[in-house]
Amino acid sequence: MEALIRPEFGLTFWTILCFGLLVLVLSKTAWQPLMTAVNERERAIKHDRTSAETARAEAEKLKAELDAKLAELKGEIGRRMEEARVSSEKEKDLLIEEARKSAAGIVESSKKEIEAQKNEAARELRGKVAELSVMAAERILMAKLDHKASADLSSRYLAELEKERPELRLGN
Amino acid sequence: MGLKEILEHHIVDHIWSWVNLGPLRLPISKHLLMMGIASFILLVVLPVLIHSRSKALAPFRSMLEIIVLFLRDEVVYPNLGHKGAEYLGYFSTLFFFILVLNLIGLVPYGATATGNLAVTAGLALTTFALINFAGIREQGLIGYFSHIVPKGVPGWLYPLLFPIELIGMVTKAFALCIRLFANMIAGHIVILAFISFIFIFGSLSAVVGFGVAPISVGLVLFTLMLELFVAFLQAYVFVFLTAIFTGAAMHPH
Repeated sequence: MEALIRPEFGLTFWTILCFGLLVLVLSKTAWQPLMTAVNERERAIKHDRTSAETARAEAEKLKAELDAKLAELKGEIGRRMEEARVSSEKEKDLLIEEARKSAAGIVESSKKEIEAQKNEAARELRGKVAELSVMAAERILMAKLDHKASADLSSRYLAELEKERPELRLGN
Repeated sequence: MGLKEILEHHIVDHIWSWVNLGPLRLPISKHLLMMGIASFILLVVLPVLIHSRSKALAPFRSMLEIIVLFLRDEVVYPNLGHKGAEYLGYFSTLFFFILVLNLIGLVPYGATATGNLAVTAGLALTTFALINFAGIREQGLIGYFSHIVPKGVPGWLYPLLFPIELIGMVTKAFALCIRLFANMIAGHIVILAFISFIFIFGSLSAVVGFGVAPISVGLVLFTLMLELFVAFLQAYVFVFLTAIFTGAAMHPH
């Protein structure tokens, strides 16, 4: 059994030689290209990550900026709206007031006008009435001076007169 | 044939011939072949996976990448600091080398090279070298050896602690070597024991042998799954401990 643990040191020499050559050759042919590829990739990944991170930070900054601007704009819009509301209120009040005033003026002037017209009409009416009444009276008088009646009347008067004063009797 | 022969046949290295390289007498063995196959797989498969742009290979490429990034982020950087990037190649190679050697041991006709004390000793020696190399490179030769003994120790303890710490450095590497070896060999021994049960009971009576066989095979399959897990776990543990020791040598505080 001691053959199991009896080393043949010639083989030790072979092992060292073999392993040493392997280290030398494989370092050149295998590990160096492998590590260059791996390092290259790791560098690319790191580069990608940093660029992605900076891009993200930039985007976040931009977003914050835009948010601030948006909030500012919102405030501005609110303020403007409030301003517009107040000024329109004022304008409205002013307009109503003016309208009321002008309406009152119009009412006043129309009253005056109406009064003047009324007076004018009254005066005119009075003239016309006077004229009409004179004309009517004239007509009435004309109507009263009826020819036949007048003739009858006058013959009666004449008869009466002839009777009283027969010498003045005409002709027959 | 007893269990001893079976174990030695399946677990111990088979040396086919010897090569003389100067003063060294080097074996050509099955475990060396396994290391060669593992090296070939790593040398061919990893660069192909990494350089290919095909859709079919993408999942494997991702798995490879996940493992290497795990080693970088959870093992190398926490222990070595960011200077550890230079050592990532070493740790990745160590992990995949041990992993592939472990996994080849689970394939039929494969052998577990990491279940050989000589192989784990070689890996532990490279770790030992790395620990000292990184420590000296980081702190300078004098700084490194002056920091071997922890700070805040009374001066008279130095003569005692310095040799102990030196031994401790060797012990760390030795423990790495034994841990990997024992873990890889243990599963194989258990599997062989379970399979031997069939024949032990079969020698009593053929009926009992056939009765035991399904239980044994079930247990073997379970152990095999466990070994698969252990293959990954031990590769990770070896790398993780190497990183801890190297980090401790680089930053002595």
